[in-house]
This record gives sequence, C-alpha cells and structure tokens, in this order.
Amino acid sequence: MEIEDLKELIELLKETDITELQLEKDGTKVRIKREKILSSMEIPVQKFGGLQEKITQETGEETRLITVTSPIVGTFYRSPSPEAASFVEVGSRVKKGQVLCIIEAMKLMNEIESEVDGIVVKPLVENGQPVEYGEPLFLIEPA
Amino acid sequence: MVIEDIKAGIKGDIGREIFFYETVGSTNTIAAGLAEKGEAEGVVVIADSQERGRGRLGRFWVSPPGVNIYMSIILRPEIEPKDATLITIMAAVGCTSALRRLTGLNVTIKWPNDLMVSDKKIGGILTETKTAHKRIIYAITGIGINVNMDQDAFPEDIKEVATSVKMETGIPHSRTEIIIEILNAIDYWYRILKEMRRRMLLSEWQYLTSTLGRKVRVTVGKETFTGLAESIDDEGMLILRLPSGVLQKISAGDLTILR
Repeated sequence: MEIEDLKELIELLKETDITELQLEKDGTKVRIKREKILSSMEIPVQKFGGLQEKITQETGEETRLITVTSPIVGTFYRSPSPEAASFVEVGSRVKKGQVLCIIEAMKLMNEIESEVDGIVVKPLVENGQPVEYGEPLFLIEPA
Repeated sequence: MVIEDIKAGIKGDIGREIFFYETVGSTNTIAAGLAEKGEAEGVVVIADSQERGRGRLGRFWVSPPGVNIYMSIILRPEIEPKDATLITIMAAVGCTSALRRLTGLNVTIKWPNDLMVSDKKIGGILTETKTAHKRIIYAITGIGINVNMDQDAFPEDIKEVATSVKMETGIPHSRTEIIIEILNAIDYWYRILKEMRRRMLLSEWQYLTSTLGRKVRVTVGKETFTGLAESIDDEGMLILRLPSGVLQKISAGDLTILR
C-alpha cells in the first residue's frame, strides 16, 4: 500500500461519520482511528458580553444529548421544597419551558427551564449540592 | 388599604399598575402567572392576606389579614443570570431605606436580605426567577413586612424571633404609606441596578447591613460553617473567614448571628 493510498483513505474518512477503520491487504495491516470532533457541533446559544456559555450537542451513535448547564453559582434543588416531589425524574418527558430544577443563590430561587422538548436521560447533580457557574445539571435527549 | 391611594403616591415605573386581592395563595405565585401571560415590568400584586405565603424552600410565611404587607413585583431586567443576585440586594436596600425613613426604626439587613430590628425579623424578601437560554425571562420579588401585627398573633415557634413595626414603635402605622415608600425606593434602586452601578448598590447594602463584622453560623444543605462574616463579593455572596483563616464563599444558606 502506498502512502498516497493512505492519504486518500484518510481524506475519504473525513467526509463520513466513521471513526475507526481496519484494513488488511497483502500482509500489511492498517488501522485508522479518528477522535470525534465536537467543536464543529457546538452551538453558541446567546451572545452576552463575555459570556462563553455554550450548549454542547454530542453526536453519538443514534443520540444527540443536550447538556443543561447552571447559569449561576448556587445550590441545586430537584424539588420546590424538601417535602415536594422532584420536578423531573430519569425518563420524564419534558416540554420546552418546563421547569427542571431550582438553583438558589442568596434567597433568589432560580427556576431553570428546559430549552427543548425531550426526555430526561440523567440528572448530573445531587439534591442540595452546590453548583458552579456553567456546571452540567441534566442530560436531555431531544424529542 | 385603598389601591387608588397607593397609585396616587407612585412616582416611577414600579407600581404604576397594581393588582389587588383580598386573599391569595401567594402573591409570588399570582405575579408569576401574570408574568407568564406577558404582564410588564413594574406590575405589582398586593394581597391583604395569603393562605400559603412562603419563604425559601417552601417555608411558611405568616400572612393574616388586615395587618401586614404582602406584595410581589414583576421585573424583567436585561442582566446576565449570574448577576440576578443583585436583585435581592437591590430589594433589601429599597425596603430597608424606606422603612427607616418612615418609621425611624434602626432596620438593618441580615445577609442576604432579611429585614431586622434588634436581631428580630420584621420583614423578608423572596425572589423567584425564570431562566432559559442563559437569559432571565422574568423575576418576581416578593416582599413581606410585619406592620401592625401583635406579638400574640405570631405562632409559638417564631414569637421570640419575629417582630413588627407596631411592636417596635408602640403605635400602628399606615400600610398604604409604607407600600408607597417601598415601591418608590425600589424604583430608585432598580434603576441603579439596570445601569449596573454595582458598586453603589453593594456599598449601600454594606451600609445597611448588621451582618458584616459579626461571628455567624451558616447552614448550607448538610454542611455548617462558623466564622467571621468578612465581606460580600461582586455578586453579593458572603465571604466567611473560617477559624483556620481560610476564606469560604457562601452562595445560599440559613444564617445565624452569634453573640
């Protein structure tokens, strides 16, 4: 196999979603592996001054999950009061605009809305835990 | 309480439109519903009594008829969500300065926004915001002030830690006058907030607080910190100096001032 053939193969792969390829020809083994490139999939949501927040859309096999991040520093709550039921559970179907959780900072209870219709795949923070600015809170699979 | 009297005293945008109810579940819930329907910034909801008046984490706020102030203001500030904590700072400064002017009482702020007279609570503020796409859709600032309530009207568990304007001054006060003074003060300080004159707002809060320089205990979820309340940062978060000398930033929690 010539080096030119390899180059052509790599170029060809770039145009596809294939991340790994093994070839065997005339006793020569070739294995090409490409890292998933996420940067091109990142969608800037809002352009506030200096705000670098982005929603990262991961493109996996079949799923494209949306990560909901915290817009503020505070304490994460999954329910409106300790006795109340959680706003959402794993597998909950949520509508765009539906409240997912509350982040409290200084007696300011900040309701975080879902930005899409979808299904809650995973909460990433435990109830009552402190969260940082930009910290991932939920993974949502868009419907 | 006559709404026309209140409206006649309003100088700015906050309170130009007022919805009055004899009794509601919670004025914050009513105001949030109005905000969802698109009601403008500055709209105020006032109730004579609340059945489910609430504080943080769904705690109960005692709200009998005929004596106190329960009101909520719709705000739509075009600021970043991380600066939303300045809304609570702004509301505390507005309420405290208004109460001082009208009653002569030495009302102070306990971090972040409890209104205190001689270490007893005379009023509270609870702000609820809705955020999506890293933007504040609306903020509801709920204000409860104990005006003409007598001590025996408070439930047993808060009798020793709560007070009212009447209990402190010995005479009843006009709720209408206090509402007008507070709404006008909030109008003034909200303009400062919208212009992002952060230093002016924070230094006024520092002037009105009784928390800084005190030894305090703060419960944050399952953790408790004890230390010296040293300062607040640019967002109003409390900076605590722990006995080890380490500085600990507190974003939310129950604060007790130790003697």
